[in-house]
Amino acid sequence: MSLTRTSLLSALAGALTIPVIAHTPAASAAAPPHAASAQQSPAPSASLVQGGPSPAASAAQAAPQSQSLVEYDDEVQRAAPNGVDFTGEWAPRFHEDEPERVPGPELGDYLGIPINDAARMRAMTWEASIQTLPEWQCRPHSADYIWRGPSPLRIWKEVDPVSRQVTAWHAEWLRSVDRSIYMDGRPHPSPNAPHTWAGFSTGKWEGDVLTIKTTHLKEGYVRRNGLPRSDAATLTEHWMLRGDVLTVAAIVNDPVYLTEPFIRTTDYELDLHQWVPPYPCQVVEEVDRPRGVVPHSLPGTNDAATDFANRCGLPVEATRGGAETMYPDFRARIGAITSTCIAAQR
Amino acid sequence: MTSAVAAFAIAAGVVAAMPLAAQRGQRGQQPPALPRAIAPRDFTGYWVSIVTEDWRWRMVTPAKGDYDSVPLNAEGRRTADTWDPKRDEAAGEQCRSYGAPAIMRVPGRIHITWENDTTLRIDTEAGTQTRLLRFGSNTGRTGVGPVSDRGPTGVGPVSDPDNASWQGRSVAQWELSGRGGGMFGGSPPKPSGALKVVTTNLKAGYLRKNGVPYSANTVLTEYVNVLGPEDNGDIWLVVTTIVQDPQYLNGRFFTSSHFKKLPDGAAWHPDACRAS
Repeated sequence: MSLTRTSLLSALAGALTIPVIAHTPAASAAAPPHAASAQQSPAPSASLVQGGPSPAASAAQAAPQSQSLVEYDDEVQRAAPNGVDFTGEWAPRFHEDEPERVPGPELGDYLGIPINDAARMRAMTWEASIQTLPEWQCRPHSADYIWRGPSPLRIWKEVDPVSRQVTAWHAEWLRSVDRSIYMDGRPHPSPNAPHTWAGFSTGKWEGDVLTIKTTHLKEGYVRRNGLPRSDAATLTEHWMLRGDVLTVAAIVNDPVYLTEPFIRTTDYELDLHQWVPPYPCQVVEEVDRPRGVVPHSLPGTNDAATDFANRCGLPVEATRGGAETMYPDFRARIGAITSTCIAAQR
Repeated sequence: MTSAVAAFAIAAGVVAAMPLAAQRGQRGQQPPALPRAIAPRDFTGYWVSIVTEDWRWRMVTPAKGDYDSVPLNAEGRRTADTWDPKRDEAAGEQCRSYGAPAIMRVPGRIHITWENDTTLRIDTEAGTQTRLLRFGSNTGRTGVGPVSDRGPTGVGPVSDPDNASWQGRSVAQWELSGRGGGMFGGSPPKPSGALKVVTTNLKAGYLRKNGVPYSANTVLTEYVNVLGPEDNGDIWLVVTTIVQDPQYLNGRFFTSSHFKKLPDGAAWHPDACRAS
């Protein structure tokens, strides 16, 4: 019989009259690594339980009541899911697409986005002054776009106080809503459940990569110049920690407005001195306009839609976007071009 | 109760004295695995860059003076403002924007293969460049653990200016997660799934085709992950690039680039470097 840490602990506990349940190989094989803890755990907090008990809660009900006060097993520890702690204050680094992300994109700039004609038409009829409508003024960025927004990020974790398992991650930016990413294995709700800015997100570990699936998003945008994203879209994210750098790959699939998945990868740097300030948005009448007016351009009347292409010396065809514009071979189609736009001309 | 406390003390001493390996069960002494054999994912194959970011700086030649998004210092801006592609062509330096700090951002396909059991090779369509990512000599044959082939600054391999090149010298390692240690709760290190590469010994070049500079003192750190397959079968390669250049940059320059896996190399068409 090999001497294991657990058997020694059993001896220790026996000497101190503390009951111990040792995990046999058979028991370990029959239950997931967290099941041992779940035997002792009450159901997750009420705030996390929606639409029926979680698998952990079910396991707790099915399993015999544990009498132990000490449980530890190296094999269980080694078999624990991979994962990493993303907790912290993260500062955005605008080393990609800074003109789009900070001052904001120009009208008619759809470069490299796999949109279809329907999205293009909606974007071409969009007017920036729609943001002045009371209904739009406090609208937060949706879960898919917010990574590209000009905002600090805070990530924290929700931990079951007994099992010490991470049951949810939370992400919050300056102008966003608290976004929960459930890690307890719960299913996504019915397609008819309400859609929100944050959507409904569940996560799982793939090595040290946290992969997140999000559904139930309200209609939003993929770029802040009117390019729409429908409420039928889904979002897949991969969070990756590289030392003190967080890289997030966000992939949007939208059967209504995209012809291919739209991927962006964004970097944040850990900043322990950062603090996400409050954002008490207040709706005011910014523009005196007749009741019911919604700023827009009728199709074919938006004279500003080619300004970006003209200013930068780019083919209008390229600025109209579409999947072909995101592939390297598109360069052969437009030929060797030197752009004429620099930020100082904005 | 006294005897119980004594038993506790004796047993605790035994636990503390046991080597971790003994506590986890003895394993046979086996030769360390080769980096190729323990790759956490398959990084090999043909990949195509998907240009959904920085389009106007990547798909066309940016205007002179357009160094938006790059944390250039004053010297960096002055140098960028002197960009002259004809001068670079005449000097035979038309590959200045195809060096390791920039090449993963240049649109095109890449082909990743194992050069041998300890070296990953990346060939690029853009500029027909070759990168060799050698797993660290001091990390043992396993290729995991810290990059130990460090220079005086402690941030990268030893500098060798006489042999500087566009792609520099790259030291690779499989990233490990966790440090282990501690009696309870310290999980032993496991492969995180990421490849880390540190590159130095670079010839001075351009971060963008329009002369945004990096110096020969640059230290390039990259992290590479393979992601997916997604629900539609897509497999992605994501490269986070961190450029540190005390000469031209105010701070670290971060970009992350994404590539989609291709079924084969049917569309592979390498081309030559262009200065503009």
